[in-house]
Amino acid sequence: MAALKTLLYIFVYPGLLFLFIYSTFCEWFDRKLYARLQNRMGPTHTGRWGILQPVADFIKLLAKEDIVPERADKGLFTVLPVFGIAAVATAMLLLPVWHYDLAQPSPNSFSGDIVVLLYILTLPTLVFFLAAWSSTSFFSTIGGARVLTMLFGYEVPLFLAVLSPAIMAGSWRLAEIAAFFQHKPLLLLPNIVGFGVSVICLQAKLERTPFDIPHAETEIVGGTFTEYSGKKLALFRLMTDVEMVVGSGLVAAVFLGGFPGGVILGFVNFVIKTLLIIFLLSVIRALTSRIRIDQVISFSWKYLAPLAVLQLLITIVLKGFVR
Amino acid sequence: MKFTVPIGPQHPALKEPISLRMTLDGEVIRDVDIRLGYNHRGLEKLAEEKTWLQNIYLTERICGICSHSHSTCYTQGVEKLMEVEPPKRGIYLRFLVAELERVHSHLLWLGVAGHEAGFDTFFMYTWRDREVVMDILEMLSGNRVHYAINTLGGVRRDIDDLQKKKILDSLDTLRRRTEYYLKIGANEPSFVARIAGVGHLSKEDAIALCAVGPTARASDVAQDVRKDDPYGMYAEVPFEVATATTCDVLGRVVVRVKELMQCYNIIEFLLKNLPDGPVTVRAPRRAKPNEVVSRYEAPRGENIHYIRSNGTDKPERLKVRAPTLANYPATVVMLKNGFIADIPLIFAAIDPCICCAERAVTLVNARSGQEKVVLMSELRRQAHERWKKAPLKKDAVWPL
Amino acid sequence: MRVAAFLPEIIRHLFKKPATVDYPFEKLEVPKDFRGTPFLHPELCIVCRACVRDCPAEAIEILTVSETDKKFKMVIHNDRCIHCAQCVESCPTTPKALEMDHLFEIAAFSRWDLKKEWEYVKAQVKPKAAAGTPSAEAKS
Repeated sequence: MAALKTLLYIFVYPGLLFLFIYSTFCEWFDRKLYARLQNRMGPTHTGRWGILQPVADFIKLLAKEDIVPERADKGLFTVLPVFGIAAVATAMLLLPVWHYDLAQPSPNSFSGDIVVLLYILTLPTLVFFLAAWSSTSFFSTIGGARVLTMLFGYEVPLFLAVLSPAIMAGSWRLAEIAAFFQHKPLLLLPNIVGFGVSVICLQAKLERTPFDIPHAETEIVGGTFTEYSGKKLALFRLMTDVEMVVGSGLVAAVFLGGFPGGVILGFVNFVIKTLLIIFLLSVIRALTSRIRIDQVISFSWKYLAPLAVLQLLITIVLKGFVR
Repeated sequence: MKFTVPIGPQHPALKEPISLRMTLDGEVIRDVDIRLGYNHRGLEKLAEEKTWLQNIYLTERICGICSHSHSTCYTQGVEKLMEVEPPKRGIYLRFLVAELERVHSHLLWLGVAGHEAGFDTFFMYTWRDREVVMDILEMLSGNRVHYAINTLGGVRRDIDDLQKKKILDSLDTLRRRTEYYLKIGANEPSFVARIAGVGHLSKEDAIALCAVGPTARASDVAQDVRKDDPYGMYAEVPFEVATATTCDVLGRVVVRVKELMQCYNIIEFLLKNLPDGPVTVRAPRRAKPNEVVSRYEAPRGENIHYIRSNGTDKPERLKVRAPTLANYPATVVMLKNGFIADIPLIFAAIDPCICCAERAVTLVNARSGQEKVVLMSELRRQAHERWKKAPLKKDAVWPL
Repeated sequence: MRVAAFLPEIIRHLFKKPATVDYPFEKLEVPKDFRGTPFLHPELCIVCRACVRDCPAEAIEILTVSETDKKFKMVIHNDRCIHCAQCVESCPTTPKALEMDHLFEIAAFSRWDLKKEWEYVKAQVKPKAAAGTPSAEAKS
């Protein structure tokens, strides 16, 4: 029985099938919102309101020819997309979605799982870099170098910002942090600065405008993805979408008070809160233009890191009072 | 560590094929080698086979965005050769369409600059507002691009009061939106961070390298054919030459937006003071043997057509010097010591219209890399010899 | 330099109807003088061949079917046509024998489907004395 339940978790919910359906829905939401902000239509005719467009794109890519460049490292080149999907899907299992209630915790929830989640979320960036490096084409090498350079910029503020509510709740376990903020919702307000910083850093982690330098289309053709085609590219794009879902799930769990209410209500909560964060991400994407790599570094160390440290100080000071 | 990297001929940043070979040092560009010729179509040779009237449509198709500028520059020159003076109303209508074309070209460029910088929202908004201008042009001339409104001796269509009113009404919308874009272009921090200080071209360099158009005007060189050598009716129209002093891509954006505001004023003046009368006069079929140089201020700079006739109904020689060709040497200077990330922006800032500028001069052997400069007379002699020796096909059926 | 200077404008666009025309389910009307494809009024043509001479793309051909019966055939090659309407302008008859219609969705799978032909008898040109009348009825 337990084995069946585990298989259900891995393959259906919150595993691969749910991730596929929900992440394509989130991509549709992002594209439709981005289009409406620009006064145009977005995906329209595939399915009602174009909701099946990302699925159609995925299926189309699966059917295309898969070319491996001659000088590329074939083993690494082929394995990396699968490895990336595995990493982000595993990260999803650690979010406190189904079993929010501390009385019956999820088998995946343990003390310190927020740190593990942040670590697993760093893996996609390394996958991008290795994918770029193993492609051995000029454009992808530059893309890979830019991916790593960006990592130096946004990783520290993201960690500091996400760990501040953990410090306030006094625990390293996502389920407990969510429970803490459910009991004291007013304590969510001092975390506004951290919320802003982590949304911006999430945008940088997902490599979307203004931080989409690693795969800037008009400059370096495809950046990391220049040499990828067919099934591998389909898996990479799916990985980006799933990363968006998991990243916004993490920010929602920590800053917006988790997903209470048991099975059905918790699921609805999850959808609403992640869509709220994706709404913010889309607005930022429509609002700004791409900035250069050196400007990303100077921006994150001049503004984001100090703001994250400020949030940390606020948390520490408040913890003294709250106790 | 220096290595040479090709941008182009096929690249998402370029709308047309051109090969820029960059010598890079990390992310900084040290040298640029520009290679042209990928879009060469043999237009100048084809122009010698068609009559004066048919060539209007041929020169129009040198470019899609600045089609009216090539057509007008050619028609002006031929009218000079045939000693035909178009009536005043015809001239006013011709340059009304010319200024509308300038508006549409600058709005298009604003969108392209936004897209190259990654600012897609700006791109969508400017192109949406450009649709207003395209609809006006379709109403006036029957087509959205390639207006074909010129004919030898004037214009082909007249304008009625309803159309005049429509144009004046849309000018209000366009003015409002252009001021909004100036506010955004100069204020959105991520966009300004991309375009300020990028692609520097000092005033001395701009004059020494013969830069034309908004590229030169952004370096504080107040050069505009409409003021320096007025053609048509520009001597009577009050307007100012837009310049900027920052010498970078931000300056070029500001110059183009200022030119847009001037265009709206010129269009309003032309519509309010449109004289009555015929729109065209008859032009002869043949032109006396003579040669003429016709200059025109296209949206990208100074456009020069040299036309020579030999008394028949076809031109002897047509030479086109498009403005982008004059801006290439300045581009090399602008790209040096810039970042890779700035290449699309710097290149887009000169508003490249590569198909306008394709006149192959140097032959490069693809395998050995050897270069050879061939005289035009030599090329013609070779072409004639090959044509004479080609087998004659009886009842040749067009492969079309 | 204000951060997020653009924000009110883009949020406002969320509540506006999109500017896109959902072609081909919605179509825009073309203006009155739109240059579509050329077509012939055979009863008005006097076979002066001005259109053949002036067409920049050599898209009009007039062939003699029978010299004695004065029967001619005009072929308009719409695959070569550049829609400039010079043929309409060069036509000397009143009313003009060639006219541009408003069709622009003329795509076909093969270029030989795009050629249109008319066989007709040459129209008589009215004598100079009555040339002042605005509608010159040509005798077929």
